[in-house]
Amino acid sequence: METAFFELRGISKYFAKVIANKDVSFSIQRGEVLALLGENGAGKSTIMKILYGLYKADEGKLLKDGKEIKIDSPKEAMELGISMIQQHFSLVPAHTVTENIILGNVQGIIDHKLFGEEIKRLAELYGFELNPNDYIRDLAVGVQQKVEILKALYQKTNLLIMDEPTAVLTPQEAENLMGFVRDFTAQGNAVIFITHKLKEVMSVADRIIVMRAGRVYGDIKRAETNELELSKLMIGRDLKWVTKDDRQESLDQEVCLEIQQVTVQEKTGVPALKDISLTLHKGEILGIAGVSGNGQQELCEIVCGAILPTKGRVLLDGEDITERKIRARIDLGIGYVPADRSSDGMIMDMSIAENMLLKSSYDKKWQKRGFIDKQKLNQYTLQEIQEYSIKAPSPETLARGLSGGNQQKVVLAREVDNGEKVIVFDQPTRGLDLGAVNHIHQVILKERAKGKSVLLVSTELAEIFALSDRIAVLYKGEIQGVFNSAELTTEKIGLLMAGFREGEVSNDAG
Amino acid sequence: MQAKLRDLLITNILAIVLGIAASGLMLLFLGKNPLNAYSVLITSVVRDGYTFADIFVKATPLMFTALAFAFTYKANLYNIGAQGQFYIGAVIAAAGSLLLQNILPGWLVLIITLLLTIVGGGLWGAFVGFVKARYNSNEFLVSMMSTYVALAIMNYSLRTFLMETKAEYPQTDALAASVWLPRIIPGTRLHIGFVLAVLACVGVWILLYKTTLGYRIRAVGYNAGAAEMSGINAKKLYILAFFISGALAGVAGFTEVNGVQHMLVQGFNPDLGAAGIGIAILANGNPIGIIFAAILFGALKVGGTIMGQMSGIPSSIIELMQGFVMVFVILSYFVRTWLENNREKRKLQRAVAK
Repeated sequence: METAFFELRGISKYFAKVIANKDVSFSIQRGEVLALLGENGAGKSTIMKILYGLYKADEGKLLKDGKEIKIDSPKEAMELGISMIQQHFSLVPAHTVTENIILGNVQGIIDHKLFGEEIKRLAELYGFELNPNDYIRDLAVGVQQKVEILKALYQKTNLLIMDEPTAVLTPQEAENLMGFVRDFTAQGNAVIFITHKLKEVMSVADRIIVMRAGRVYGDIKRAETNELELSKLMIGRDLKWVTKDDRQESLDQEVCLEIQQVTVQEKTGVPALKDISLTLHKGEILGIAGVSGNGQQELCEIVCGAILPTKGRVLLDGEDITERKIRARIDLGIGYVPADRSSDGMIMDMSIAENMLLKSSYDKKWQKRGFIDKQKLNQYTLQEIQEYSIKAPSPETLARGLSGGNQQKVVLAREVDNGEKVIVFDQPTRGLDLGAVNHIHQVILKERAKGKSVLLVSTELAEIFALSDRIAVLYKGEIQGVFNSAELTTEKIGLLMAGFREGEVSNDAG
Repeated sequence: MQAKLRDLLITNILAIVLGIAASGLMLLFLGKNPLNAYSVLITSVVRDGYTFADIFVKATPLMFTALAFAFTYKANLYNIGAQGQFYIGAVIAAAGSLLLQNILPGWLVLIITLLLTIVGGGLWGAFVGFVKARYNSNEFLVSMMSTYVALAIMNYSLRTFLMETKAEYPQTDALAASVWLPRIIPGTRLHIGFVLAVLACVGVWILLYKTTLGYRIRAVGYNAGAAEMSGINAKKLYILAFFISGALAGVAGFTEVNGVQHMLVQGFNPDLGAAGIGIAILANGNPIGIIFAAILFGALKVGGTIMGQMSGIPSSIIELMQGFVMVFVILSYFVRTWLENNREKRKLQRAVAK
């Protein structure tokens, strides 16, 4: 057997309260695409950060071409030909493409023209369309990712590690990325993909390492496995997937929430939402598809009252609530699960019980003689912990100490109770593991069955398709069209998300 | 949990000992025997009840100014102006007492004066919160600058309507004994203000951790964005938090004027605000911790004064000791976190090895 390009042998890493990695061993060959598959918190990112020199392993060793190596910093990793593209890009928005790429590799006076040409050549070599003099802040996320890749290529990388690279991309952009990965490895380089998306793994990887709870549970060739086996390895048990069969076919036609010609003007003068009109019926899930940053957050905030529209009206059960503030809308029965729970949805330094109280602290039901009725609150929290199977030792546990999925369940539990009429879910499963995703999907369908109206914003098309009765596509603050979910295919929706209008789509995609 | 408590006690005691040892080193540089100096210090504090009680007298206003800083700190606001709010409280306490002492019975004057200082200090503080909420001004700077305005108001009133009858020095006439805060222990200066301060600490703790108002203040402090998203009006809470903070610092003026000085002297206790910040940091913003931290500072103050009276030791040794103790106590936070992490890690490694 040929010597592995890189090999990890018996790596363990302990953080204060968790085992991040235990006895992790695997190798990667030249010319190979390796997928590192696992749920969130399975230790995928940690093991890669060890390989990239960001963390130091407590046990075990690293080998390159059969020889033991020490990697104590990203700089040393780069010298060995390893580059890592983090989930959150490390680019300087105020600098140009060129400046970002050469950052850290130049000294003295910079010859912009020379470097610019060099980078242009490199980009052309891989078929990337980029202007080296563009500022990062003006570029779309997909293009920014290309800059990150170029940065790695510029440093003569042989092993490229990508952490969840497709999370921010449209289906088409993701396809382009896969194309690049194939080209790159064909030249004898290696790529490690960190992901929890099974589909992606099956389409691009040569070999798959499945991780769970910090350990390796599978090291399989793609050709010898299937999605079902992988998902079992990944979560350690079978999952009952929500399917369209679970949905009720009869649609209550009574209108619950109406958004009438709403425009939201940003401070810069650019409208975040342009003349949006949507109706949401009782017992309906309306999916909002689109690449993130196209007005989704504004749409959600219009509904929950965090921002007021510049023009237009919002109606709940026929009553005009356009001018009502957040607190009034909570009382009216509008729940909101924001996309970014750590900044908008919960308070990490407070306990689960305190987080349950967040939206109802004015409510007398939690007070006893002017003090917080802690007993009642804890009891309620305990009940919710059980109902939503939140993994937490007690209601007093700090939110910070929970895993992402369990934090999300806390927010979900609270908002489902708050939203007696309407619940807005903004990317409710982003970054969560399959078990949690499945659970959250079941909760959403259950609330729908109760006759609540659900506005579901998601960038995951699979989620939109699995849950929605109707789908609206949002692009640059405009609705590209509202469809019954059966009318749409992935290709068609992908084009709508990329800005094509309905008429153009039917011509292009037939 | 038990290991945590043990860490807390050991590291804190060690920090104080190290702080005193380090200041001892400074004494050594002055050619003084630190052991000698410290033994004189301890014997004089223990032997003499008056001196011992003075520790608590000194701790009283410090508790209030420390609470003032800690309270806004919980809302992630910085009230650097406790000194000014204290001066406003002191002016109101002196003016109120002098005005009412011949009209009303003493106990009633004390209660009215206390309420007036609460309102006065509170409004003075609330102004900072108001401009923060209304104009998004920096509360750090505004509160700091408001101290100088308060100082100027005190100087102005001591030169004009509050000036003593002799019109010689910028100070008020002495307060009638009927409006002095009652002494707790006869033969010492320890007055009922100390009890008031401890009650204030407990009260602030209850307010912060047991009521929905305190809950909302902490929620805004930890994550104003999420609080706003949950329908909590952060701006209103900024004003309210600064009112309460200012009121607490204002009461320090009342206890100092009616409890210790029995008159208002220009520019007295100029370091209460700064020391309060130090104490609040020392106690990690915990109102109950503030009681102990303030007593520690009171002890250092009294001890420093005694040492300053010994020949050849500069009185600035107090600040040196305070500084050293604070540095070590703050370092002890990191030591504790480190100990805790290591303990958890070992536990984990043992569990895995099994």
